[in-house]
Amino acid sequence: MIISHQIIVIGGGPAGLNAAKYAANAGADVGLIDSGLRLGGQYWRHTGNAEVDESMHHNFDQGSLLMDAVNANPRIEVYLESQIWSASVINNMIILRTKDQTFQTQRLIIATGAYDRSLPFPGWDIPGVMTAGAAQALLKGNGVIAGQSVVVAGTGPFLLPVAAGISSHGGNVVGVLEAAKRLSWAPKISVLIQNPSKILEGIGYIKSLRKSKVEMRFGQAVVAAHADEDGLLESVTVANIDKDFHVKSTYLLKCDVAAISWGFTPDTSLAGSLGLKQGVRNDGSVIIEVDKDQRCTHSHSEVEIYAAGESTGVGGSDLALAEGAIAGLATAHSEKSSSQLRKLRHRAQKFADVLLQVYPVAAGWKSWLTPQTLICRCEEVTYQKVREACEELNARSARDVKFMTRCGMGMCQGRICTRNVSDLFDSEDHDRILATYRPIITPITLGELAQEGLL
Amino acid sequence: MNNNPDVIIIGAGVIGVSTAFALSTAGLKVLILDRGSVASGTTSAGEGNILVSDKEPSPELDLALRSRDAWFEINEEIGGGFELEAKGGVVVAQSDAGIDGLRRLTSAQRKSGIDAQDITGNDLHELEPHLSDSITVGAYYPQDAQCQPMIATARIMRAVKAHGGEFISGTTVTSILVHGDRVGGVETNKGRFSAPIVINAAGTGAGQIAELAGSYLPIAPRRGFILVSAPAPQLIFHKVYDADYVANVASSDETLQTSAVVEGTKSGTILIGASRERVGFNTEIDFSILRILARQAIELFPILAEIQLLRAYRGFRPYAPDHLPVIGEDPLIKGLWHNAGHEGAGIGLAPGSAQLLSDAILGKSSFMDATAFSPTRFSRAGAK
Repeated sequence: MIISHQIIVIGGGPAGLNAAKYAANAGADVGLIDSGLRLGGQYWRHTGNAEVDESMHHNFDQGSLLMDAVNANPRIEVYLESQIWSASVINNMIILRTKDQTFQTQRLIIATGAYDRSLPFPGWDIPGVMTAGAAQALLKGNGVIAGQSVVVAGTGPFLLPVAAGISSHGGNVVGVLEAAKRLSWAPKISVLIQNPSKILEGIGYIKSLRKSKVEMRFGQAVVAAHADEDGLLESVTVANIDKDFHVKSTYLLKCDVAAISWGFTPDTSLAGSLGLKQGVRNDGSVIIEVDKDQRCTHSHSEVEIYAAGESTGVGGSDLALAEGAIAGLATAHSEKSSSQLRKLRHRAQKFADVLLQVYPVAAGWKSWLTPQTLICRCEEVTYQKVREACEELNARSARDVKFMTRCGMGMCQGRICTRNVSDLFDSEDHDRILATYRPIITPITLGELAQEGLL
Repeated sequence: MNNNPDVIIIGAGVIGVSTAFALSTAGLKVLILDRGSVASGTTSAGEGNILVSDKEPSPELDLALRSRDAWFEINEEIGGGFELEAKGGVVVAQSDAGIDGLRRLTSAQRKSGIDAQDITGNDLHELEPHLSDSITVGAYYPQDAQCQPMIATARIMRAVKAHGGEFISGTTVTSILVHGDRVGGVETNKGRFSAPIVINAAGTGAGQIAELAGSYLPIAPRRGFILVSAPAPQLIFHKVYDADYVANVASSDETLQTSAVVEGTKSGTILIGASRERVGFNTEIDFSILRILARQAIELFPILAEIQLLRAYRGFRPYAPDHLPVIGEDPLIKGLWHNAGHEGAGIGLAPGSAQLLSDAILGKSSFMDATAFSPTRFSRAGAK
């Protein structure tokens, strides 16, 4: 059976929820599709137990209000546990396929969010090394603390809620290592002042960490991880790094979990299949390009496609909410003024731009690699293999390396390594975008593909 | 920079690089130009087929047979590393007509020196234990082989460089320099390169290159899709396909044709083809075709229904109206040679085609008569 809606929103995080709400309030019939068990996305990932959830989020009120509004809205049909594995435009109709269902619409809002960006370093494949997002998801979604002694490292404001969450729930955070310098915010203080809620949020986390006597160190990064006899994480090498991320000195830190965040990579999975124009940001991330109404550029004349939130460039929940609202109004062809929303978006965008400048990931991470360091964990491709493909076999891009070494051909389809390989090659935008094209968004069985009735 | 190459080769796919290998082995200074990087076109969009089973007795089969052996010689010569494997082919027939056709084909192929063994029942299922019980008739071709074509091309390129050859990627040919009726070099986005010989190995772009030179070559794209599974324990041991495939390859129909071609690879993935359609350079994935491919593959191997599909890709076969490659000197422009139009058999035919062209350029006798592949066969119909 084919399910039709006037507007379909993909993704139930801040951007998608707000998009659905605004579009439905403007009178449209909306289908909201999400792969998760509950609405909320990664940002408002929750257990369903109100008391627990309240304690895990600094702004869960806002999230639960929005989720309640969406769930209660008779114009919005929510489809959970619905992972789209492919999309295309056929006969002026956008077709979205999940394992059991086919959806169709002429107006689509993509709000697929982002996933953790990982940098490779010696030992990053040892059990116990994880993304800060994974540690956060364990806590928010399952109420589980990732380990006995946790190092939180990387760069960006996301380190704070992760560390504060773990320590306030009884976990032992042995260090928060921020790659940026202590006063990296100083030159951007004017933008900070315009976002007082952000200051308060930050102060809240720092207070919480102080209370737990968690030490925050600046200009430091985890550059190697070491396993014990059982192959589990035992310690990490922490480096004092310069602004280019080159190692100045190192020391060893004992821990059984290293939760590391180097920011996020936009999930642009649908863009390639739908032929949407994509771009590359200063930080090398591939994004879906949108205009002032969050509208995408494509060649299908009869359909409208919008994108909002992190898939158009990582910028945090405030920006995602504003973009979602604007996209929702525009998609519903609402007459309602969005000038207030545009102001919100502008301010949040400025803040997001400053974040990128204050918490850069500098190219010096490449100097942490050894020849044996895995670049692609799925297919176990080492840095040496990647270099050989480059130096001996004329590989010039992530795509070339993929064909010559299988780097990026494994189960994650290069979602983790492709951006890093593109960085290793200082790839041009065109090659970066090409390397993210995945027509099969998530694996399905051949039996499911062979089913009758699939468009 | 190579100031005075003997030969400029347009195209760094398997055909161009194999040609460069043959010529540089003979002592010529070659310069390879490609608008992309090495093996970035049709070479990267196939399965790496090196087949003798899918051809009727013909000059093309003779070329395939010589080429197949040449692959194993090259493998020795350049130190391998590109997953070359004589995995063998199994062709099955499901209908009565298919069975008759297959038996006629194997009988004719045997006369051309192909090891084509008629097999039935248990023998067939011993070769492929997961083959559907309903399939009882087939043929076994031990000579069929496969390689990883991108790595193969990249490694041959390395050997070409060791012979003093040069490669410049990201180089788009914008015009062919012709003086009178003789070629003099090429103009590109990276400047002018001069040489007395220019070889057009531009695959699906070969027609445009001929046009730039003021000549004519009717090469069109024929689209195909391939499904790739997640790595699995080995379930399929040969290249297995339906006898209809042979008819589809030879067909000139513009509309969609599909026949299951299924094989396991050394990396544990299973590849499923093959579709053919003439839709220009339309790059969109047609999921209805993917569905047909999956269904046909499951008909051959029911166990595949449980296997996960990880990737799908499409490619464009460079296709000439009579399905034969174009190997030889241009009828209008002296010094312009073509090596193109190998359709879906480019990997398999590459070393033989390279040898034929190299021998022709050097004025040497070759292992077979190349008349059937001559570019002159189009000139009367299409010259401007």
